[in-house]
Amino acid sequence: MYDNRHNKEVQTNEEQFGIIDIEEKDILSLKENLPPEIRSLDEMKAKDVRTLAEVGMVMDESNRSGTYLCYGQCGFVTTQFIEGLECIPIAEALEKYIWLKEKYWFKAIRRDEDEIVEAISNSIPRGFFIRVKKGYKINKPFQAALYMTRKTRVQGLHNIIILEEDSELTLLTGCTRAHGTKKGLHLAISEIYVGKNAKFVSTMIHNWGPSFDIRPRTCTIVEEGGVFISTYCSTNPPRTIQMYPFTHLKGDNASAKYASIILGIPNTYCDIGGTIMMEGDNSRAEICARAVCKGGNIVQTGLLIGKGDNCRAHVDCAGLMMSNEGMIEATPALRALNPSARMSHEASIGRIAPGELIYLMSKGFTEEKALSTIIRGFIDPGIEGISPELDAALTEVAEISGHGEEWDVIPIRNR
Amino acid sequence: MIDIRNLHVSVEGKEILHNVNITILDGEVHALFGPNGSGKTTLIMTIIGYPQFKVTKGEIIYEGKNLLNLEVDERARLGIGLAQQRPPTIKGVKLRSIIDFYSKNNPEKVDYISKQIEKFEMQDFVDREINANLSGGEIKRSEIFQMVVASPKFFILDEPDSGIDPEFLGKIGGMLTEILKPKKNQNQISTKNTGLIITHTGDILKYFDANQAHLMMGGNIVCTGNPKEMLKQIQQHGYEYCVRCNRRKREL
Repeated sequence: MYDNRHNKEVQTNEEQFGIIDIEEKDILSLKENLPPEIRSLDEMKAKDVRTLAEVGMVMDESNRSGTYLCYGQCGFVTTQFIEGLECIPIAEALEKYIWLKEKYWFKAIRRDEDEIVEAISNSIPRGFFIRVKKGYKINKPFQAALYMTRKTRVQGLHNIIILEEDSELTLLTGCTRAHGTKKGLHLAISEIYVGKNAKFVSTMIHNWGPSFDIRPRTCTIVEEGGVFISTYCSTNPPRTIQMYPFTHLKGDNASAKYASIILGIPNTYCDIGGTIMMEGDNSRAEICARAVCKGGNIVQTGLLIGKGDNCRAHVDCAGLMMSNEGMIEATPALRALNPSARMSHEASIGRIAPGELIYLMSKGFTEEKALSTIIRGFIDPGIEGISPELDAALTEVAEISGHGEEWDVIPIRNR
Repeated sequence: MIDIRNLHVSVEGKEILHNVNITILDGEVHALFGPNGSGKTTLIMTIIGYPQFKVTKGEIIYEGKNLLNLEVDERARLGIGLAQQRPPTIKGVKLRSIIDFYSKNNPEKVDYISKQIEKFEMQDFVDREINANLSGGEIKRSEIFQMVVASPKFFILDEPDSGIDPEFLGKIGGMLTEILKPKKNQNQISTKNTGLIITHTGDILKYFDANQAHLMMGGNIVCTGNPKEMLKQIQQHGYEYCVRCNRRKREL
């Protein structure tokens, strides 16, 4: 009988790629209190500022409601006074608010969820606490940047975001590293609480590189009528990333949408999924996953669980193969626990149709411009009013994806 | 403007066009008639440069350059534009991407383009995905509107009048009038665009005076003549009449 265990094509992802083990010395380093590398944001070098701008963090805060920067292991907060908005380092928040530990600290995620969460829970609390008070709608986005410096081997953060009843916030999170950083491990827990009729829009842009391993762990609880929209875009993938954010639509009429846009390049492994559990009646959920593979391995998963009455949901995973190397695995999944649930899924993987490419070229687009235009359309998350930062990141993904295409993948040449 | 000489074209090894010869001078608009499957679309796709249409013999000279040495996009940038009959749907890409591309390449036309969007009531179209969920008439409107915006020196319309109601035809006719309106070039000299229009019904001929018409059958141009006269004969006697007429011409 043929033994499939050694056949690369049929092995499971874990067998094929393995999940990195966190080294003991890295975990121990999370317990160390390293001296701050800078004393204020003004001390950042121009190179740092440029790198951070690539993931949407800008020094000019005229279009921001505030900034949190984790520079290496040290957090900085700058907030203009905006009524109803509070952002402070998590360690300070834990001291300031006794109720934080009682009601929110490790209440969405269990301490023993996995080794990543456990490692952070045993370390010095680093990260941010953001609260929008009841009834306040913050009209400018808050920006958070998590920056790995050359001296940082490991970054471990625990963030808590609370949107009280009828409040609104847009958060732009940029995660990146200083140029020339050799190796890094970024671990993060985010516990997000979206209150009754509150709306939280989160955009996360990652720009890592092949020396990094990334393990975010996010859980969001959405109360009655709450809305949670999360968009993730990776313009430069790390060596490995694995994340499965979990959203619990606890209240009736709550809704959530995940959109993820991933670019795969050789020697990278992106395992990005998400689960939305619809417990409240009439809740709505949507997962939209887009992957462009120029090499490397991409796993897209999306699970929707319909528990409450009349919940509606759709999951759509789509991939573009831009290279003869690499892999995309798309697994949209549905789980109905209630007969009134109406859920649907779709998955598609393919390459760009030559007819589409030539059509745009017949309008005068160069081949490269036509490719990037088609890819930009493919990865559009379908969210109204996307931020300029996300738009720039998506355009960058499209341009990188369309660059240096192999002719045998898309045969459109005349000669 | 364009001179097609002794053109032979094959698709997947089968010759579709045999010895096609057409000359269109600057500022002229020609009509191309012919039954289904006669090779009309093959001819225009070859002019545009679609790679599956292989030229085995002959040449296409456009403004003194042999187009066969150029890629699709290079031909477009020389000023050749096509409004297709069955263009592809491009998911996620909005018509605005193409309009913006024209604006970016011709900053002096930004005002003109926004006026045309308003004039032809295309505001809703520009933010829709290219050809997605559009009716046949809407696709034609979108395609021909792109010709209005791009205003190519040599435009090709593939059956702009087939399968559309009179109201839509009026809108398309209005766009064609705009395309044909004399425009000043960089040297402030008034020029008129040159064109080739494929039509079955001839309905579009109401909106402009074609200089010449050609009838294509079996991959050949079998007759060239007065557009209105030729259309009348085709409508009254069918395409075979033109073949017989052509045969008689040769006999004489």
